[in-house]
Amino acid sequence: MTPFLNRRHFLTQATSGLSSIALASLLDQQRLLADSTPIRPNIDPAKPFASRPPHHPAAAKNVLVIFCAGACSQLDTFDYKPELIKRHGQPMPGAESLVTFQGEQGMLTKSPWAFKPRGQSGKMISELVPQLGELADDMCFFHSLTGKTNTHGPGENFMSTGQTLDGFPSMGAWATWALGTENENLPAYVAIADPRGTPQSSVNNWGPGFLPAAFQGTEFSALKPLDNLDIPAGVSPETDRATRGFLERMNQRHLEHFPGDTELAARISSYQLAARMQLSVPEVTDLSSESKSTLREYGADDSQNILKAQFAKNCILARRLIENGVRFVQLFNGAYQTGGEGVSNWDGHKSLHEQYSKHGPVLDQPCAALLRDMKRRGLLKDTLVVWMTEFGRMPTFQKGASGRDHNPEGFTAWMMGAGVKAPFTYGATDEFGYKAIEDVSTVYDFHATILHLLGLNHERLTYYHNGFERRLTDVHGHVLNEVLH
Amino acid sequence: MTLNRQGRSFSRVRLSAFLFTIILGCEAKAVDFIKDIEPIFQAHCIDCHGPDEQESQFRLDRLAALISGGNSGEPAVVPGKPSESFLLKLILHEESGMEMPPDDSLSDSEIASIRAWIADGAKTPESYGPEKTDIELSHWSFQPVKRSHGSTIDRFIHDKLVAKGLTLSPTAERRVLVRRLYLVMLGIPPTPEQVEAFATDESDDAWQNLVERVLASPHYGERWATYWLDLVRFGETHGYEMNRERPTAWQYRDWVIESLNDDKPYDEFVRQQIAGDALGEDVATGFLVAGPVDQVKGSDPKLRQTQRMNELDDMINTTGTAFLGLTTGCARCHNHKFDPISQRDYYSMQAVFAGVQHGDRALPPKPGTAKRSASLDEEISGLTNRLKKFIIVDESKPRPAVNAKRNEEVFEEREARFIRFTIQKTTGGEGCLDELEIYSNGLNFALASSGSKAISSGDFVHPKHKLMHINDGRHGNDRSWIVESASGGWVQIELAELTVIDRIVWSRDRSGKYSDRLPIEYRIDSAMEADNWELLTSSADRQTFAGKTSASPKYQFEKFPSAEAQQGRDWQNRLQAALEEKQQLEKSTLVYAGTFVQPGPTHRLYRGEPDAKREQVAPNAIEVFTSLNLATDAPERDRRLALANWIASKDNPLTARVIVNRLWQFHFGTGIVDTPSDFGLNGSPPSHPELLDWLASELMDHDWSLKHIHRLILNSGTWRQSNRPNENAIRVDAASRLLWRFPPRRLEAEAIRDSILAVTDVLDLEAAGGPGFSPFEVELENVRHYHAKQTFGPADWRRMIYMTKVRQEREQVFGAFDCPDASMVVAKRSRSTTPLQALNLLNSRFVMQQADLFAKRLENESDTLSHQITRAWRLCFQRKPTDEELADSVSFIEQEGIQQFTRAMLNANEFVFIP
Repeated sequence: MTPFLNRRHFLTQATSGLSSIALASLLDQQRLLADSTPIRPNIDPAKPFASRPPHHPAAAKNVLVIFCAGACSQLDTFDYKPELIKRHGQPMPGAESLVTFQGEQGMLTKSPWAFKPRGQSGKMISELVPQLGELADDMCFFHSLTGKTNTHGPGENFMSTGQTLDGFPSMGAWATWALGTENENLPAYVAIADPRGTPQSSVNNWGPGFLPAAFQGTEFSALKPLDNLDIPAGVSPETDRATRGFLERMNQRHLEHFPGDTELAARISSYQLAARMQLSVPEVTDLSSESKSTLREYGADDSQNILKAQFAKNCILARRLIENGVRFVQLFNGAYQTGGEGVSNWDGHKSLHEQYSKHGPVLDQPCAALLRDMKRRGLLKDTLVVWMTEFGRMPTFQKGASGRDHNPEGFTAWMMGAGVKAPFTYGATDEFGYKAIEDVSTVYDFHATILHLLGLNHERLTYYHNGFERRLTDVHGHVLNEVLH
Repeated sequence: MTLNRQGRSFSRVRLSAFLFTIILGCEAKAVDFIKDIEPIFQAHCIDCHGPDEQESQFRLDRLAALISGGNSGEPAVVPGKPSESFLLKLILHEESGMEMPPDDSLSDSEIASIRAWIADGAKTPESYGPEKTDIELSHWSFQPVKRSHGSTIDRFIHDKLVAKGLTLSPTAERRVLVRRLYLVMLGIPPTPEQVEAFATDESDDAWQNLVERVLASPHYGERWATYWLDLVRFGETHGYEMNRERPTAWQYRDWVIESLNDDKPYDEFVRQQIAGDALGEDVATGFLVAGPVDQVKGSDPKLRQTQRMNELDDMINTTGTAFLGLTTGCARCHNHKFDPISQRDYYSMQAVFAGVQHGDRALPPKPGTAKRSASLDEEISGLTNRLKKFIIVDESKPRPAVNAKRNEEVFEEREARFIRFTIQKTTGGEGCLDELEIYSNGLNFALASSGSKAISSGDFVHPKHKLMHINDGRHGNDRSWIVESASGGWVQIELAELTVIDRIVWSRDRSGKYSDRLPIEYRIDSAMEADNWELLTSSADRQTFAGKTSASPKYQFEKFPSAEAQQGRDWQNRLQAALEEKQQLEKSTLVYAGTFVQPGPTHRLYRGEPDAKREQVAPNAIEVFTSLNLATDAPERDRRLALANWIASKDNPLTARVIVNRLWQFHFGTGIVDTPSDFGLNGSPPSHPELLDWLASELMDHDWSLKHIHRLILNSGTWRQSNRPNENAIRVDAASRLLWRFPPRRLEAEAIRDSILAVTDVLDLEAAGGPGFSPFEVELENVRHYHAKQTFGPADWRRMIYMTKVRQEREQVFGAFDCPDASMVVAKRSRSTTPLQALNLLNSRFVMQQADLFAKRLENESDTLSHQITRAWRLCFQRKPTDEELADSVSFIEQEGIQQFTRAMLNANEFVFIP
């Protein structure tokens, strides 16, 4: 498993031939490689977002996470199970006394959507997401992810922060704490919530946890502007500039008494940065320069499906942010529970067919257009796209209902772009798509791999908090080398 | 088959443990440690688990270590019991991921020898030491507190500075000192009048007197409570996905504030938070349950157990870090990596808290409450009767509106076999009923136990809500039924036989806790044979449901002669007051301070996994420090009380040190130990160990008075020195850790907000205590949503400590100033500087409104521009502007107006920094 020789194993081999000099230098090298001492980013308080070097050469500069809130069913999208179709309507062996999140199991139930072979690779993907399906050749699938919880809040926490509990730093916070960003005039880390609202674990998904507040994701979208970005009503830009000038003079005079005080100087620069953001954020959120054909491709002009059009605009915004050097972007599809289960997100407990029939089209065209667009513009060379959801769903329908219960035992995510193989499939679930059985991997492994692609060693990216050297991957996780280019 | 001593003739086939036991029973004496076992250890194990390295904190060259095992918490060797010995499991490769040796296997004969040696009692030569060794507690914080006599804070600080060629800075100016004192101790700036009074006080004890006044201020408790509430992760919502409110939790906040203001001895303060129910301070146990709790409980039993383990972990971890400065939570899955806290200790502490449940607890009534309540009841009933004649009767709707607790439908006797309750409209979402009762001669015939059957148009699928609950005779949300569709549906009871019925009773939640999903438009039909429905009753003749208020009838006085009408109005006013008082009385008896039940046995859990139970443990603290001497079934309260008494004891080497260090950090920004909640081996050593011990002794010698320590610090030269940098000192000690100056720092979120409100003169200091004010509009869905408020008025202008603490959601303007969200314990806030902070302070509606208020204040209080500017400077910075500042301000205001000037003032560095 581990790419490095175990020490004693190594010694056994070494005695059978290598010279002692080679041995010593190899040992040194090994110590270096196996070093797990923390690497702390060197952060200038006056420029907390300045770009910082990774731990090792990075395959990806930026990350775009597409998060389907509500637990999008692997069995109705990307995890094709012929046996499930064959055994439709029969009980799942061994599930007689199985109690999942909401209770007992009904019968094995095939997806209401047919699967079709896609692209050169022939990957089977369902008709629920046909346009995404056509991109199968560019995707690297993980079918054997396993989680630690079957509840939405902790599940979203787990995917976004590596812990099921509230209060831990999100992946984007870790990444921007370590790496800063490429464009200091925009927030380093942006979270784009679904048009219907924030996801179920709300701001935890982009929270800073115990990392400095500077590394919290900034929330705005094509529909919802960044809070307090605009100059207050009734204040002209000239007046605003004059006020900031007056403030800066006041602060500079004060600073003269404290030469070399970085915190005071940092506060002065933060106002300058804020002013630059006031110019660059509206620029990046203004979609009026996008061509009609782009709007059409994304579905942003769809007057029949307003929700789809809104999500499409968020997709365009995501691309523009990445294009402008934002380090980490999270794009949410699905919001908190409102109006009943599965109405506003992918939580299809009761009437999966009816609900997913609405969710599929909202996700499919805009998201596929985003990926195609990024590819055309060459953005996938530097950007890692990660599609994820909090956990999977059961191959059975729930007893007395027409939908699937939660299932963290085996679920699907995919990546695309910088550093990952495509087309590629890693791991597999059992014949029904219930449990991961082949190359069983954890969310920790998944996170370790993402950090690795960003040039970060997940064991050395640590922050001391209350007695722990905390990591995104807790004390677990292995980079899934098989998926790397 | 026989075994020779070396087991050479032993086949390579592994025999079952059963067979081994029999064989070894006969051959037990055959193994010799030196000859048979030690060589195996030497060849395969000792490199990583010997004198040089102890991977996983395990070594095989000491008997005590062999027995206690490594950091898994599992005993490696249980003499005489191979099957319980973890070592054997690992060499048999029965523990996935922990196969030993890591890259190959021992031969079967080697394994057999080890097994035989363990079965034989695991004897080792004397050089392997005794079975149990005392753990040496040489770490500085585990040693008793040592008092050095006859010193002062300044002496300790001075000695260290001198060693580095540094000195204390000169004393700061009076205007700086008074600003610093108010901001540090009270979190609000002094008024210009307070500044002048001190600046011109020529008496010798001017400073001491000022310190005493500040220590006596009720705003001290409000300020310091912020820090304590961070430390104990106090929140007023549950957190996680639903994040619902805890409307009674505020009482704990008030208790903390009062305790600090009263200078409650710290040992009592500690004891009461862990076991206040035993000490006449019930509210204090709000501490135990101040943390987040996941209200979404799935049906999967293992995950439910994990959730419970997480709740208890939060209590263990918070108690350990807050009071002891020990990261006890680290021993949940394995022995503590650095500190002498075993996994067993962790579960012993879990046994202490195992009976603590999240939830509201009814406080014992205050003396006189019951009597008052009874007399109110009497008054209410009398007034209600007298007021009856004034009630407007809507002839078309004579019946009262529906309510969640109980609704009665009385009708003329009729024969029926089927009764169908059709939900047409609810207060929101799918309708819910906890019980439907059908009466005949006072007996409920709807019960399933009477042979009745329930069917429905469709059920909402959820473990708590089932069709069978509709007629199970049990009440409450957990025993209720919910219809499948939000647009309506029905539930039907088929009685065992044709029955003469005269009354139906139904409810949403008879226990009164839930009132959502209430059917407000409905009809009830009956039939003697299937589908031959006849309307029995409906909501049509009920008054319109109007939320909670619908219970109170509408009165009309105009029709009556004026004297009578006046009488009626008086009665109504009196009734209203009595109802409110009654409601207040009932409300104040509940507090989110947890409930207590006698717990079952607690076991150590291998790897912290709920289904890997190991030996049972008794409630206890940390073995190397103490034993609480409790039985495994000790009464719940005794457990917490015993732990509390140990923590709050003068013999505990940690408690006093940890709190004085927190006080030090509160004053200087950094503690003497800069890992304030980790005094263990992985924490930082103290910068001034003697000073820390001296302060700890002072605390204990002065009846654990926190104000005594504040007084010592505030009166020191170290505290009163200037904050100006000095080139040489910065080169040696840039972080001012050695305190060659008073380290300047930015104010926390709360103090910035309070300072703004103070200088604009709208801060409501009288509205102290009581339920908080929320910065959010709350969307009352099952899962709560919080939207930032957009307009603000006097109700929002209280101190921020009273702002309802919503977990996860940071307040829209000040949350960005590193304000924790109460998901985790925070011993020291991060202090970051971000452009979003700048945008919030510059552009938010909240601050813009304050800038306007500030401008109005200046205009009201001073006539000329230069006076207004000077006033602003005195209010915000406690000094006069320089000529340059004045001139710049005058020309700026002439150009851009005074609101822009006040806006800039509230954003100034000088305004948000402690000088």
